[in-house]
Amino acid sequence: MRTPGRFWLRALARHTARMLLVLMLGGFLGATLARMAPGFGQDAEELDSRLSRESVAALRQARGEDESLPGFYVHFLGRMVRGDLGQSQTLQEPVRQLLAERFPETLESVGLGLALGWAAGLGLAIAAVMWRSAWADLTAGLAASVLLCVPAAVLALLFVIIQAPGRLVIGLIVFPKIFQFARNLLLRAASLPHVLTARAKGLGGLRVLIRHILPVAGPQLLALAGVSVSLALAAAIPVEVLCDLPGIGQLAWKAAMGRDLALLVDLTMIVTLITLVANTGAELLARRPREGGA
Amino acid sequence: MKRRELIALLVVGFCRALPGAPGSWAQPGSQLRFCIHSEPKTLNPLLVDDDASETIRYLTGGVLVRLNRMTQQLQPELAIAWKMNRAGDAISFTLRKNVRFSDGTPFSAADVAYTIHRLMDPAMHSPTGDSFRFGNGEVETRMGGEDRIYIKFPAPIAGLDKLFDQVAILSVNSPNREMAVLGPYYVAENKAGSYLLLKRNANYWKRDSAGRQLPYIESIHIDIEQNRDIEMLRFERGEIDFIDSLSAENYDRLAARAPATIHDAGVSMDAEQIWFNQFPNAPLPDYKKAWFASARFRSAISESIHRADLARVVFHGHAQPAVSWISPANRFWFDARLRPYPFDQKSALRLLTQDGFSLRNGVLYDRSGRTVEFSLITNAGNSSRERMAAMIQQDLAGVGIRLNIVTLDFPSLLERITRSYAYEACLLGLVNNGLDPDAQMNVWLSSGENHIWNPNQKTPATAWEAEIDRLMRAQASTMEAKKRKEAVDEVQEIVWRQAPFIYLVNKDALVAVSTNLHNVHPVALQPQVYWNIEQLWMGPTRRRDR
Repeated sequence: MRTPGRFWLRALARHTARMLLVLMLGGFLGATLARMAPGFGQDAEELDSRLSRESVAALRQARGEDESLPGFYVHFLGRMVRGDLGQSQTLQEPVRQLLAERFPETLESVGLGLALGWAAGLGLAIAAVMWRSAWADLTAGLAASVLLCVPAAVLALLFVIIQAPGRLVIGLIVFPKIFQFARNLLLRAASLPHVLTARAKGLGGLRVLIRHILPVAGPQLLALAGVSVSLALAAAIPVEVLCDLPGIGQLAWKAAMGRDLALLVDLTMIVTLITLVANTGAELLARRPREGGA
Repeated sequence: MKRRELIALLVVGFCRALPGAPGSWAQPGSQLRFCIHSEPKTLNPLLVDDDASETIRYLTGGVLVRLNRMTQQLQPELAIAWKMNRAGDAISFTLRKNVRFSDGTPFSAADVAYTIHRLMDPAMHSPTGDSFRFGNGEVETRMGGEDRIYIKFPAPIAGLDKLFDQVAILSVNSPNREMAVLGPYYVAENKAGSYLLLKRNANYWKRDSAGRQLPYIESIHIDIEQNRDIEMLRFERGEIDFIDSLSAENYDRLAARAPATIHDAGVSMDAEQIWFNQFPNAPLPDYKKAWFASARFRSAISESIHRADLARVVFHGHAQPAVSWISPANRFWFDARLRPYPFDQKSALRLLTQDGFSLRNGVLYDRSGRTVEFSLITNAGNSSRERMAAMIQQDLAGVGIRLNIVTLDFPSLLERITRSYAYEACLLGLVNNGLDPDAQMNVWLSSGENHIWNPNQKTPATAWEAEIDRLMRAQASTMEAKKRKEAVDEVQEIVWRQAPFIYLVNKDALVAVSTNLHNVHPVALQPQVYWNIEQLWMGPTRRRDR
């Protein structure tokens, strides 16, 4: 018989190993894509007619064009082990400093967006399922469908024009996905025989929800929580760029535009790590009752 | 109304009525806000090579002499007098006394010597330094006390004194290194990728005619905003005070909504141009290389393009047909005898016929019977260029040529025109901010890295390129302005005849300036609005907080 402590240790070890592998792979793929992208190592400065041939050559060397991809990755990992995330070529600052400056901004945007998206999405899904309100279901469903069709960049631009806080856009991007998935999950759980029996026995709506519906839908909602973190992070890129929020999303955009290899790889790995942690956390929490009780 | 209030009102009214006088409206705590469109790549003034860094250098750097952007003449700054020798390889400066850097370090000839030696250090790879790099050998500096310096270069440099407009003097003694400045502002805060905050240099030496220390404006907040539409939106909301290099659409939009804010400073230094890839090893079929190498073919293309329409439709009339690699805004060097290629498709077809092309059923064929079709690359996201390309496509269809337009992001485009040479023709605007043609030596010498249609030639590929080489070297080796002008005019005529670059339009310098910003006199040269930054002042602000 497995104890909960051993279960956690084994699960954590397994997931950490998997995360490290995916992280390395994500970083390597990110570096490969950036290195192979057309225009890597190019700089408009080369068109400066004042520059001598030697200066142009020095400029190209400084952009790391001569370094092979495996060479870059070995150096990169070596630096990373020492805690050095490298230097951004476009912003001319250490990546670590850039991340420290910008991470709180994104944390706030994504946190607020997730809170808003989940509050609205789950709240309306519960309302639609528990009170079987056709009006709430139709209105929320329509809003979710419309928001699903509108790209994040368009919403962000709209918020810029009407001078509304850009952070709310992330909430509007997260909301429809949460609403649709949560509504379907809750509906399915609400139609299970034991829930119907509980209702028939006259149990109150809130008690039915808490004691009979949420425990069934819970694991999948937790998985959805993991996915929603990646969704919010992805939405943060256009939102931060267009709404001029100096966060990680804006940094990623600048890095991509400038073919800033070191910054791109670091950001790829950070986003991968956040996504993996969120998904792994959700997965562990969801599996705990089954495996822990085995 | 009480008598005291009446007097105060009269005084205020008088101050307001004085044109150009800051009076009591130059508020302490005033802040100028504007956007730059990319991150400054460096804050080291010796390494400046991009527009954003140039903006910071202009606002913070103290120079010995400054090119007045309005008169296009040199004016004294940290040097009160200067003299070049006859050979053109040496210059001596008499420096202003009692000047201090922003951190209080005294300024002397030793700082100029230090700056020059760092500038000319080959390991620095300074673009500004490369402008001075003619001939082999070391630069020599000799100080005559604290306020005199003599600088000797290894070889004569045409327009030597004007090059010092870009040399911001560094301090040899300051512990703050290049962050200690002699210009009107210093960098107080730099949030990479977001904004820069410049604050007034309390030790700035310049004073106005009334003896008040300049500059008037306390601080400058520079936002990094790539999106031009958002920049426009912010200007309309009063969040920023001016926009440089405004697009024609936005200019007309503001003309309707806020006509007092817009200024057309006349034709700018910017030209839009097309060129064909003539690189012998380019991955193109030989028959296309033969088309592009023909001066008749290039001239025919040039004659097939309706430049006046481009200026009228794409730039809403805020542009004029271009004729040369030197803009009419460059008053001394522009060859006023040249006229733009006329729009004459019949003449174009005659030229093409002489080269063996024939027009059948509205399609142009070369002498081997191949249909004439090529692609034109340009940078994506530049709506003016995209529209120009579309109009050129229509024009060329009139002589039976099929043009395919390909838009690429800038790094990809750059890779094609400088490395892989996998392109047929390119539409781009090569910006030239320097007035002296010497600044374009690398473009016109056939051996040049930026001789972009066929770079790095070991020997000139054509007789006319050899002639341009000779003329450009001749103008660079003489100090006589008249002889230089004759040689440069001849180069302009050869380029007009041979059309390696097909110049399309010269855009006007369009700017939008808040009515709160005073003493603004927009000019065609960069920087168009804040070239007289010390003299600008803000009226009562109507700005809303972000």
